[in-house]
Amino acid sequence: MSEKIGIYVCECGPNIASRVDVDRVVEEIEKLEDFKDKELVVKKHKLLCSVEGKKFLENEINENELTHLICAACSPTDHDSTFIGVCKKTNLNPYMYKIVNIREQCAWIISDKERATDKAIRYIHSGMSRVLYQEPLYEKQLDINPDVLIVGAGIAGIEAALTLAGKDRKVFLIEKTSEIGGKSKKLHELLQRQGVTPANLKRKISKVKSNQNIYSYTDTVLENVIGFLGNFEVTLKNTKSKEQTEILSGAVVLANGYELFDSKSLENFNYSNSDNVFTAEEAEKMFKEDSKLTMRNGKEPSSVALIHCVGRKEVGYCSKICCSYLQKIAHSIYDHSPKTEILDFYKDMCLPNKEDDHFYKTLKRKSIDFIRFEDISLKGNSINYTEKSGLKKTTSVDMVILAPAMIPAQSTNTLKKMLNLELHETGYFQEPHVKINPVATNTDGIFIAGANRSPCGISEAIIQAQAVAGKISTQLIPGEKIIPEVKVSEILEAYCTGCKSCLDVCKYGAIYFDERRAISIVNEAICRGCGNCVGACPSGSIRTKHFTNSQLYQEVKEALRQGEQIND
Amino acid sequence: MNTSNNVLIIGSGISGMEASLMLSKAGKKVYLVERLPLIGGNTIKSGESYPNMDCSTCLVSPIQQEILQDENIEVLTISTVVGLSGKPGNFQVKIHKKARYIDMVECLGCGMCYPVCPIETDNNWEENLVKMKAVYVPCAGALPNVPVIDKDLCLRLNGGDCNLCVEACMFDAIDFSDKDKTLEVEVGAVIVATGYDTAKNINLSRFGYGKLDNIHTSMEFERLCAPNGPYEGNLVLKNTDKKPSSVVFIHCVGRETSGYCSSVCCMYSFKHAHFVKLKKSDAKVYNLYHDICLPDKSYQKFYLETKKNISNFIFYSNINQIEVKEDNGNLIVQYPDNKGESAIIKADMVVLTVPVVPSNGLVELAEVLDIELDRFGYIATETSQIGSIKTSRHGVFVAGCSEGPKDIQSAVIQAEATVANTISLLNQ
Repeated sequence: MSEKIGIYVCECGPNIASRVDVDRVVEEIEKLEDFKDKELVVKKHKLLCSVEGKKFLENEINENELTHLICAACSPTDHDSTFIGVCKKTNLNPYMYKIVNIREQCAWIISDKERATDKAIRYIHSGMSRVLYQEPLYEKQLDINPDVLIVGAGIAGIEAALTLAGKDRKVFLIEKTSEIGGKSKKLHELLQRQGVTPANLKRKISKVKSNQNIYSYTDTVLENVIGFLGNFEVTLKNTKSKEQTEILSGAVVLANGYELFDSKSLENFNYSNSDNVFTAEEAEKMFKEDSKLTMRNGKEPSSVALIHCVGRKEVGYCSKICCSYLQKIAHSIYDHSPKTEILDFYKDMCLPNKEDDHFYKTLKRKSIDFIRFEDISLKGNSINYTEKSGLKKTTSVDMVILAPAMIPAQSTNTLKKMLNLELHETGYFQEPHVKINPVATNTDGIFIAGANRSPCGISEAIIQAQAVAGKISTQLIPGEKIIPEVKVSEILEAYCTGCKSCLDVCKYGAIYFDERRAISIVNEAICRGCGNCVGACPSGSIRTKHFTNSQLYQEVKEALRQGEQIND
Repeated sequence: MNTSNNVLIIGSGISGMEASLMLSKAGKKVYLVERLPLIGGNTIKSGESYPNMDCSTCLVSPIQQEILQDENIEVLTISTVVGLSGKPGNFQVKIHKKARYIDMVECLGCGMCYPVCPIETDNNWEENLVKMKAVYVPCAGALPNVPVIDKDLCLRLNGGDCNLCVEACMFDAIDFSDKDKTLEVEVGAVIVATGYDTAKNINLSRFGYGKLDNIHTSMEFERLCAPNGPYEGNLVLKNTDKKPSSVVFIHCVGRETSGYCSSVCCMYSFKHAHFVKLKKSDAKVYNLYHDICLPDKSYQKFYLETKKNISNFIFYSNINQIEVKEDNGNLIVQYPDNKGESAIIKADMVVLTVPVVPSNGLVELAEVLDIELDRFGYIATETSQIGSIKTSRHGVFVAGCSEGPKDIQSAVIQAEATVANTISLLNQ
C-alpha cells in the first residue's frame, strides 16, 4: 500500500488563524520538496475538535484511505485523545497519527505572523517526517483474576477483605501472627468520637471468619510474588509448619501496620523495667484487663504523667494520633479515679479531627494539668522539664505513660524488597503521588492501606482500606479484561549483553533477567514505557515503541534543519 | 434490585472528580453536578501545593480535562440538585440547570465578550479581590473554558437593548433565548462532595480585617499569590507596586468559634511563607502560632525547613489577646508571648488563617437529600460504624471536606472509599 498522508490544519477559530497564515501553511506543505513522491492531502478546518470537525476528519480518513494522519492544532493535552478517538472509528491505526501543536507553540507565543507561520510549517514538516516512521501498534486484551491477596489482618486488612469479598471475588487474608485482629484488638476503648466499643471490632473479626469468600491464613507470611495487575502468582509460607501454598490473585493489598519506637533507646529517657514507666499500649492493656492502672507493687498510682512526642525528633515526623489517644487515657484515668493527679506533658497539641477540640475542652475542665514543654527528660519516675516560658522544673510521679512514635513495621522493608516498591525517607511506603494517588504504589495492582503508608488512626485505616477496595473494584472487574500499555519497551535480544543496567533503573519491576540466555526481558504487561531503560542501556538494545530513536531523530532533524533562522 | 447503573455526584472538586473518573472506568454513567460555572473546586485556587510545592494546575488540569472528555461523565455546571426520591439502587433525581446563555459547543473561550460588557460586579470566586463583568469566567484557565452570563445583572436579559457581547462574539455563541431547565435522571447511588468554604461570618475586627489595608484571610492570600489569580501572582501592598517586606501569619484565627482545628492551616501557612520569600527574598516572615499540627509523615520536614530557612516562629499564649493595629503606616501585631507578656511584631501585611467551614448551601442540600448534618454543619456519617462514609440516608455517601476539614490526600482517599461502597451497592 502506498503512503498517503493527510495533514489537517485547524484554525481553532481565531486562536490559530489570526496569528498563523493557515492558507500559506497549506500551500507550502503541499509543495514540500522531500514529500514530492508521497501522496498528500492538505486541508484547513475551522475547528477540528468540534462535532462537525470530528465527523469531517473521520470522512477524510475513510474517503482518502489515509495511511498517516497529522492534525496541526493545539497542545496534545487538549485534544490528542479527541483525535485518537476519531482514528479508532476508522481503519487508521491510531499510532499512525500525530498531533502537532501550532497553537501554544506558535500562534500564542509569536506576535509576528510571518514568523509564526514559518514555525508552524517547520513543526508540521517535522511531524510529517516522524509519522512516516511510526508503526501501527495493537492493543491486547488480557484476562484477569479478580481475587485479592491481603497481607496483614489488622483493622485495615480486615476492612479491605470485608469490602472486597463477594460471590465473584475471593479474598486471601494472610496474617503472620496466630490471630486475626491486629493491634486494634488490644485497645481499651476507642475514642469517643468513634462512638463504639471493641465489640464493633469483634463483630468485624467474626464476619471475616464466617465469610465464605474470605480465606484466612494465620501464622503465614508472603514468600514470593511474581506477575502483574490482574495476574499475580503468590507463594505463601506457614511460619510454623514451613509448608508453602501457591495462590493466584489479581491484586495485592499491603496492610502490614506499624510498630512502636523504642523509648529506651533515647538518652534522655532513663528508666528500667522495674520503674513504673509504661507505654500507652501497656496502659491500654492494663485498662482492658483490670479497668485500672496498676504499679509494679500492685497498687494504683496517685499521680500519673503522660508524655507526648517520645522519639518524634528521632523519627522526623508527628505520629498524628498520640495527642488524642493520650487524652483518651487521661480521660479513662480520671473516670476511674478522679482524685489521681494527672500531668499531661505535650509540645504541640495536634488534634486534626473535628471532634477533638471538644474532647480536649472537656478534659481541660477536669483537673488535668496540661504542661507545654520545650524539653523533657526522665530518670525513673522523676521528670525534668523546661516549660514553654523557659522555666526549668522537676517533678516526680508514681507512674509515667509514654506515647512513643509510630514507626514502619520491619516487614515493610521485607515487602519493599520482595515487591520492588519504593519507600519514603521515613521508611513508610511511598505513594505514586501523595495527593492524587494516595493508596497505590509504583507497581500497578499493589496497594497500601493503614499505618504502613503514614501514621494514622483506626477510622482512617478503615477508610483507606475501603479506598483500596474502590481502586480494585474499578480496575479488576470480574469477567472483564484489561488492556495494558501498548507503548512499551522491547529488548533486541541479539544486542543485549546481559549487563543488567536496565534492571536497576526500572521503577516498575517490569524487567527480569533470563539467567539461562543471559539477557534482560521486558514484561509488557507491567512496563509503562517510561524509557528509563532505553537511556541506561549501553549497547542500545532497548527501544520504546512509538518513541524509537529513528522516530525521534526524524522529528528533531526536521525541526532543527538549517535554513532561514528560527529564533523562537 | 437495582434498576440503575448510574451515579449522581454532587460537587466537582478533587473528591468529586476522583470518584467520577473511577466510576466511569468501571463502566458507570456519572452525572457530575456543579453549582458553579467551572469545575475543579478549591484545588484550582492554589498556585502550588504543599509539601512538595508541586504546581497545582499541572496536578489538577489533566484531571479536569479527563472529566470533560469522558463520555461516561455528564458534567452539569451551574446546576443544583433540587429533589431526591426513591430508594438505593433506584433514586429519582431532579436537577435545576441554570441557563448559561452561551452555547458550549460553539464557544471557543476566546474571551472577546467580557471586555466589552459594560456591567461590573464583585468576583466572589476571587474573594472579591477584583471585579468581573456580567459575562465572565471566574478566573484565567477556568474549565470548561466557556463564559457565563449573570442573568440578574445582564442589561439585555433585564429589558435593556445592549448587544455588545453578541457583536464581539465571532462564533454566534451567545444565546439569550437559553432557558433554565429541570432535568430528571435516575441513579443507583449518590455521592456528596460539596467541599468547603473559608469562614465568612466570624468577627475579625480585632485583627484589623476590613478596617486596615493589607490584612487578608489565607484564601485571599492564596489568590493574591496564585499565577492564575487576579494579579497573576504579583503580590503587592494595596495601591502600591511595592512587595511586602514583612508578613505575619496568625494561626488558629477563629478556631474558638468553629470549635475545631481545620488541620490544614499550619501546612498551608508554611507554604504561604515560602511564597513570600519567593516573591521577595529578603522579606521577613513570621508564623505566630499556638499549636503546630503536622498530621502526615512528610509534614514535619517541611515545617523544619520553613523554620530554618523561611520564617520566624513565634509562640502566642492566648489568641484572645491578639490585636492588630496601625501605627504610622505600619501594621502592629500585639500578642501575649510564651510568658504571657505583651509583645509586638511590626509588619506590612498580616494573613489570618481562618477556619475551614462547610460550603455555603450545604444546609439546603442536606434538606433536599434528607441527610443529617453534625453540630458543625458538616455531613454526619453513621455513628454505629467506625470510619464510615455513609450518611444517614442509605445509598447516599459523603467524600471530602463536606464531611469535615481535611487535606487533599485524605479527600481523595475518602472519594475512593465512596467508590467501593457505591460499587458494592450497585452490584447487589
